[in-house]
Amino acid sequence: MGKTKQLLIKVLMLKRIFLLIVIFLTTFSCQKKGCLDPNAVNLDTAAEIADNSLCLYSDFKKADMLSNICDNYILPAYTNFNDQTLLFQDLAVSFTENPTIGNLEILRNQFREALLAWQAVSFIDFGPANVILLKTQVNLYPMDTALIKENIALGNYNLESALNNDAKGFQAFDYLLHLPDLNDQEIAYYFTTNDQVKVYLQDLANNLVMNSQYVVNEWQSYKTNFKNNSETNAQGSSTSNLVNGLCAYFETYIRKGKIGLPLGVFNGFSQQEMPELVECYYRQESLPFAIAAMQGMKKYINGTSFVASENRLGLDDYMNYVGATQGASPLSDVITNQIDAIIVSLEELNDPLSNEIFSNKSAVSKCYEEMQQLVPYLKVDMTSALGVLITYQDNDGD
Amino acid sequence: MMGISNWLSDFTFSKKSIAPLVVFRILFGMMMLISTMRFIVKGWLQELYIEPTYFFTYYGFDWVRPFDIYGMYLLYGALILSAIFITIGLFYRVAISLFFFAFTYIELIDKTNYLNHYYFISLIAFILLFLPANRSCSVDQHLGFVKRKEFVPAWNINLIKFQIGLVYFFAGLSKLNYHWLFEAQPLSNWLKHQTDLPFIGELMQYDFTAYVFSWGGAIFDLMIPFILLNKRFRLVGYIFVILFHTLTSIMFPIGVFPFVMIVSTLMFFSSAFHEKLLFHLQKLFSWNKNKETKKPEVYRQKTNKIHVFFIGAYIMLQVLIPLRFLIYSGDLFWTEQGYRFSWRVMLIEKAGYAQFYVHDAASGNKKLINTSEYLKPQQEKMMVTQPDMILQFAHHIRDQYSDTIIVEKNGLNVHLESPKITAEIYVSLFNKGSKLFIDSTVNLSKINRGFAQKKWILKNEN
Repeated sequence: MGKTKQLLIKVLMLKRIFLLIVIFLTTFSCQKKGCLDPNAVNLDTAAEIADNSLCLYSDFKKADMLSNICDNYILPAYTNFNDQTLLFQDLAVSFTENPTIGNLEILRNQFREALLAWQAVSFIDFGPANVILLKTQVNLYPMDTALIKENIALGNYNLESALNNDAKGFQAFDYLLHLPDLNDQEIAYYFTTNDQVKVYLQDLANNLVMNSQYVVNEWQSYKTNFKNNSETNAQGSSTSNLVNGLCAYFETYIRKGKIGLPLGVFNGFSQQEMPELVECYYRQESLPFAIAAMQGMKKYINGTSFVASENRLGLDDYMNYVGATQGASPLSDVITNQIDAIIVSLEELNDPLSNEIFSNKSAVSKCYEEMQQLVPYLKVDMTSALGVLITYQDNDGD
Repeated sequence: MMGISNWLSDFTFSKKSIAPLVVFRILFGMMMLISTMRFIVKGWLQELYIEPTYFFTYYGFDWVRPFDIYGMYLLYGALILSAIFITIGLFYRVAISLFFFAFTYIELIDKTNYLNHYYFISLIAFILLFLPANRSCSVDQHLGFVKRKEFVPAWNINLIKFQIGLVYFFAGLSKLNYHWLFEAQPLSNWLKHQTDLPFIGELMQYDFTAYVFSWGGAIFDLMIPFILLNKRFRLVGYIFVILFHTLTSIMFPIGVFPFVMIVSTLMFFSSAFHEKLLFHLQKLFSWNKNKETKKPEVYRQKTNKIHVFFIGAYIMLQVLIPLRFLIYSGDLFWTEQGYRFSWRVMLIEKAGYAQFYVHDAASGNKKLINTSEYLKPQQEKMMVTQPDMILQFAHHIRDQYSDTIIVEKNGLNVHLESPKITAEIYVSLFNKGSKLFIDSTVNLSKINRGFAQKKWILKNEN
């Protein structure tokens, strides 16, 4: 026991000495170049030129990073998402039992809270969430309102069939709780007089809770697997899952889904705006959800705790550890700054986004450009710096 | 002059035991059997040759197309069958020809799947086409289809050794660049992802380790052919071969390549060693050589000028092809002009991201192409960093939109004849930050494919 302890101390000492030697060498061998990253242990304030390849960081362990992201972000964020959907389920029952305007407003508010909670977990797009294709069950849009009407009228539907992904989830609530061309009184009245829509609303709420509960429960066992699968960054490893899920989700569901599609960027040669493609089209409120997704991503990347603002080991530290740069700056800073720029550009817009794409098109385009700029930072710079491969195939490194 | 000419004739036409060639034939057949079956079991046949809708053919080989699923399975069946026949030495010439053509054809289907070791296998199979590797320890010889040989001209053995040695030597030469030697790139980045490995993980966090691996790797590659040629150091060298390839196979997803090299380098061992191997093999199959009634063919040393010419030409080509990059200007790792077929293994870390646009000249409108509609993720990944593939893809898009009339939902009418294609591509080399890779205004649909300098690649400026 004592021997191993002694050995451990020795190893630690050796490490320190080694570190000191390196610091010593880097400080004195170069005249002007030096590490200017405040996160590094050898921040060199005397340096004139930033050369962050010289930066040294405290020992980085991928396993620690994965543990932190899992315990302090993923698990609490999923728990919060599940709590919010459960609350929504309860309030949906109260509303259908007593469809007053007041209860409608309460339910709508909870809808908003639950959808915001979803944004914070939406990009955790691997593991249990991927098993049930959570994102397509929970927040697909635009909705097929004809299918919703048909389901309500016939009362005969299987919500677990993928065919009904267009008729359920948050965007179905968006439609049902903000029925177009009806005022609040009329919506409340519609729910009072139509038993089938009550059942449908409750079934949808139950389906949502079923899915959120599934993911929360599965993570209880999946977390061990997630934390331990740290040896490589090959396909199927935790780092690869985390990074690939994040990049793909941001590119397709945030950049394209939330802004690009409605703006018309993907609409052929005409680039015609497509207002009906915004998130929460009927509620006429889209921007807070996009902002929540970006804020969630920022925390997730930086290893920030979901509840507190505590910043521990995250992908940013991993990028610093491998000395990833973009131009003259550390890549981690470039990514964080770009996310901030996206959030600012989103905050400059006004809901409803479905109008804003016409009336304030240049600002929406600018927001899209900011999002577009993040894609190579994530997909090229981050994945390559973190050595995340995208396929199983053999390669010889080119 | 006499010395050289003596050495040359000794090197080419002197009498050498057939044993190393026979052992090589058997091992090669077995390796090909295993790696072909591995390929099928992993589902790659489906993934690489059935699922994609577009294939990046090689310039001049555009006629090579994948067959349908049955055809491809048939082709792989032919590979398996021919590998078995090569191993046991039955209908050897037919089997090795079939193997060479089937294997090379498959490799020519899509550049995406280019691997140096596939190229190596094609070359070895090509060399084996001309060698009498079935003249001993083979079913052909046993059944009397061919006469037994005990000896072959030395070039039969030496050309294979040359090919193996060349792979190492050029792999070593290509490592003699600034990034590899003085930045320990890309290893310093790659090793840092291995810190959670058991036992050796702890070492991976230090740059020092990356430098040791970089320099060690370069020295190993450059010296190992000569060490293996030397009788005294051969065994030590071979132990290094095993250690080196085992380590790389643990650390990187390079598949069967390390295994292929460990087995192939056995070729450097002496005739006596291979004869012993064959002796044990024959004992295993209780195949008594002494009982054979037919006398082996008598070896007659003769210099064949046609052979000399072809061997010389092959060697020249093998030396010149990896050096062709010298005729292109610009940073080789950035432009990748003359990069393939040159034994550059694990040399660069490069990633990219591309957006392609089709332009309507009449209205000035442009349409963003959904790349994933045409390419598999692996194809897209390979295409975005390699200019010849970028150009091919741009031409493919052009062909999709040429002479079309598109009526969009909002009534916009687009008539395209030969549309302009542009691409906005960001590439990062050695993790130094993504930068614009090619001129994003150049009309790629008007640029011809070929070996000319690609002037539309932007300079890699730091």
